[in-house]
Amino acid sequence: MILEHLRLRRGTSLLAAGLLAGRELEQTLAHLGRCARCRAERDELRAVVATMERDPLRTAEPDVKAAVLAARVARDVEHALAPAGRPRWWLVALPAAAAAAVAAALLVPALVKPFRPEPRAARVTIPPAEASALLEDDALARIERNLAREQAARYLNEAGDVLVSVAATGIDCDRTDDRLDVGAAPERSRELLEKRRLVVDAGAEAVASARGVLDDVELALRQVAELPSCVKRRDVELVQKDVEQRQLLMRIRLLTRELEG
Amino acid sequence: MARLAGGDREALTPLVERHYRRLYRIALGYLREREDALDVVQEAFVKVFQTASRWDGSADAGPWLSRVTVNLSIDRWRRNRRRGQTFSPLVEGDHLQALADHEPAPDRRVLGRETGDRLALALSALPERQRAVVVLRHYQELSLEEIASTLDMSLGTVKSSLHRALHRMRATLGGGHA
Repeated sequence: MILEHLRLRRGTSLLAAGLLAGRELEQTLAHLGRCARCRAERDELRAVVATMERDPLRTAEPDVKAAVLAARVARDVEHALAPAGRPRWWLVALPAAAAAAVAAALLVPALVKPFRPEPRAARVTIPPAEASALLEDDALARIERNLAREQAARYLNEAGDVLVSVAATGIDCDRTDDRLDVGAAPERSRELLEKRRLVVDAGAEAVASARGVLDDVELALRQVAELPSCVKRRDVELVQKDVEQRQLLMRIRLLTRELEG
Repeated sequence: MARLAGGDREALTPLVERHYRRLYRIALGYLREREDALDVVQEAFVKVFQTASRWDGSADAGPWLSRVTVNLSIDRWRRNRRRGQTFSPLVEGDHLQALADHEPAPDRRVLGRETGDRLALALSALPERQRAVVVLRHYQELSLEEIASTLDMSLGTVKSSLHRALHRMRATLGGGHA
């Protein structure tokens, strides 16, 4: 009776939620016929469900019409398109430009050296204060950008570690129930998800090219964050499959290298 | 959705018209604040437009939109919590005092302030994903399979989450539910 009670306890909740059917429903109803405590529990859970069913928020209407919302969305999309369009262009143009600059730096001095006049004193002198301000603005922007990219690379590295630790786990924590130990991975995922907003918001432009991977990493971390530390093998396999399908570990590696320069 | 994936911005309006009520109710069920819910829905459509090119066309867009909305609701919930704008499930006395400081929304007045507030408290005491499962089941009436697909969870996890959530809500709501 106790074993049956434990086995069917979840069924009682699902029955109250209106989600039980077939054999499971029959078994649970039969058990309820024998268990007064379970019947009381079902009634209390039904009362919880009924309270939610009476909540007017279930049928609340939005304060704005669809057309207004669509216009707002279109405006935000317009706004977001400029930075979002940049990364693809950058991905192609930046390496090419960098390569051209390196080639020019190597070749041009050698070619012009024979024709180069003797050095003279600079003709235009930028006032020291002005030069310093220009330098500061430029340098600050560069430092901020580099910091944002470093932060994103660190975040991705840590996320990669968490996903590898889940994907590679083979340690049993409960053999009878075929469960695997994923250790602190769920907790670390939750911490990383907290950190993600800082990484993305703080350096939105600097890490624009990383958005696709960051979004996929977020999805994977959300899955892991939901797991208990001792998790059914099937749930671990789902995470593994998802990571594999998205080629996430390889993409994290490539992007981390790119961000780290 | 296929048009959106091809970068056609005109496709946004029919998509919004078709889904925005449903998404609004998901966000509202989760956040219980009208303005926040509307912001989340707006953000969800922007995000969907930005990532539409990754949609493979094989699946219904509905669950994908719902998932984006749930994830954004969770983000908003956390942000509000950090700013102290959401209920703290840990200290009941403080929580009820905080509720008393706010003008009740019309919905809450209809339901009865006490019940609405207690429901909000019970929902806010749930872990994020359990709360999402409850909202999708009892505010959207999705089946277990639909919830699993929307939240990218296994069926077993959905069942366990719902079971735990209802028990936790029962404990928070106490004996008199209405």
